[in-house]
Amino acid sequence: MRPDGKPSGCFFLRTFGIMNRLLLLLSLFTCKILSAQTLQLNIRHEVSGKPMLLDSTSYLNAMGETFSISVFKYYLSNFSLTTQKGQKIILPAAYFLISEDSAASKKIILKQLPAGTYSSISFMIGVDSIMNFSGAQGGALDPVHGMFWTWNSGYIMAKLEGTSPVTKHPNHVLQFHIGGYRAPHITQRTVTLELPRPLVIQRGQTVAVTLAADAASWFGEPFKISFREYAGFMSPGTVADRIADNYQHMFSVKGL
Amino acid sequence: MTRKAIYILAAFSLWLFIAGRGTHHIPATDPYILRLPDSLPRPVYDFSKNPLTKQGIALGRYLFYDPKLSLDSSVSCGFCHQQFAAFGHFDHAISHGILGRMGTRSVPTLFNLIWQKDFMWDGGVNHLEIQPLTPITDENEMGMELSALIKRLQGNAGYRQRFKAAFGTEEVTSQRMFRALAQFMATMISFESKYDSVMRKEPGVVFTAEERGGYRTFQQKCAACHKEPFFTDFSMRNNGLSYLSSMNDVGRMKITNNTADYLKFKVPSLRNVLVSAPYMHDGRFFDIFQVFAMYDHGQEKGNTIDPLVKDGIPLSEKEQRQLYMFLNTLTDRKFLANKEFSEILIAD
Repeated sequence: MRPDGKPSGCFFLRTFGIMNRLLLLLSLFTCKILSAQTLQLNIRHEVSGKPMLLDSTSYLNAMGETFSISVFKYYLSNFSLTTQKGQKIILPAAYFLISEDSAASKKIILKQLPAGTYSSISFMIGVDSIMNFSGAQGGALDPVHGMFWTWNSGYIMAKLEGTSPVTKHPNHVLQFHIGGYRAPHITQRTVTLELPRPLVIQRGQTVAVTLAADAASWFGEPFKISFREYAGFMSPGTVADRIADNYQHMFSVKGL
Repeated sequence: MTRKAIYILAAFSLWLFIAGRGTHHIPATDPYILRLPDSLPRPVYDFSKNPLTKQGIALGRYLFYDPKLSLDSSVSCGFCHQQFAAFGHFDHAISHGILGRMGTRSVPTLFNLIWQKDFMWDGGVNHLEIQPLTPITDENEMGMELSALIKRLQGNAGYRQRFKAAFGTEEVTSQRMFRALAQFMATMISFESKYDSVMRKEPGVVFTAEERGGYRTFQQKCAACHKEPFFTDFSMRNNGLSYLSSMNDVGRMKITNNTADYLKFKVPSLRNVLVSAPYMHDGRFFDIFQVFAMYDHGQEKGNTIDPLVKDGIPLSEKEQRQLYMFLNTLTDRKFLANKEFSEILIAD
């Protein structure tokens, strides 16, 4: 059609017919190659091996201090898979904000995987440095989610809030906002999880893997955190670096 | 065969795209050409992701002057950033905001921002687009939660239309809001002072003897930090301003946690300096002669004082007078009166 609404002549009409069918066929074909294989990561949150329940349940940290959790969220990005033959497949850039209070956020769909047999999966906890200084972002990186520091630009890579009777904070609040993308206080951590058995993803298939993230790891190893000493940390710094070193180990594979 | 089909497909897609542009009412935007003097370095701000358009700038200006961006709809960006004060806050040492609350630092001037890498007195904000997030959400300034603000704008039919005009659809997102504000702020360019005319050797414009003397003093004693042509080198330094326990402002150290950054603050531009009093990060000096006096004999020389000023800057009475006359030539009257930046009344 021409902009004025009149038919643009027989040639175009005929070509349109043929092309249209071609387009349909080709688009189906290309979509199938590019994005037919997907990997769904189902993430469940635990504390010392028990299912995480917000607010209502008390847990113990490695120092034996009681605490509860009200907010638990973090970014995952920079996914890659390693094939059995050792080839690293870097997946298209994607950023996910996972939050305990949102069931939908705990199902991550990774698209455009090549079919193959994989032995491990890697990802970053946090947001890569460049996105921390590239201006206003949208989607999961929209500062509207409250995961961006306003006074000292940069993403909060991971956030855990709750209470502990041992803290001296008002209302015994615990507040850990872990971030920092500039040396010397860098908090992005890369996790590589070996799969318990090779993961075969066939052409056109969607495969699910279940991961668990254990919040107790934040305060456990290698740096034991006492809530008496640190009931919160909300800027780049050594404590944030240590907690990131700790939570680097929070993930485990629970099932293929 | 497959390759041929792909070529045909590509050509067809291109045709569809071109034809579609005419028929599907995507509103057209008018590109805006920012005119900058040739002598200037390339801007730091990356326009490729946010090209200037008349509609984008207009939306940014509307947002800039809209008090609805604050919790109780009382304070706009333009409330503190007044054009006649080079977008600083006339006569206010410390910024103030909703419900009579007070901040902790003075309002910085706004111009030539596209060359600036770090924002705020401590350089804590790393991008022009992200900068407005701080005053909007600060409880002592506009006190507005970002998600609540985006909902407020989404619920406003006028804004949906303005976002559509600027970005093609009615979708209101924080990214679009920040980009529109950045577009407006990017157009705040100030290079039309008498000093600029003299440097460009415009016919009939010359420094007076006093101004010329002041320029010499400036070059000898001030220009290392207040570097031409921006009259700042955009660095963070401790200039010897005394620490006030009542304010307890540690400056850049708050951002880096590094004791070497104690009491370091951004070197402000001297452009439009005589219309943007009060001075220093806490606005403690209302008169430029107090600033001269501080450098001459009033510094506090702590560990982190900048080597360039650690021995003070002796300024005779004559030098101070001439320096004042020279700083006067940095006032850009065209910028201060430019109607493209002036306040607009927000009716809805």
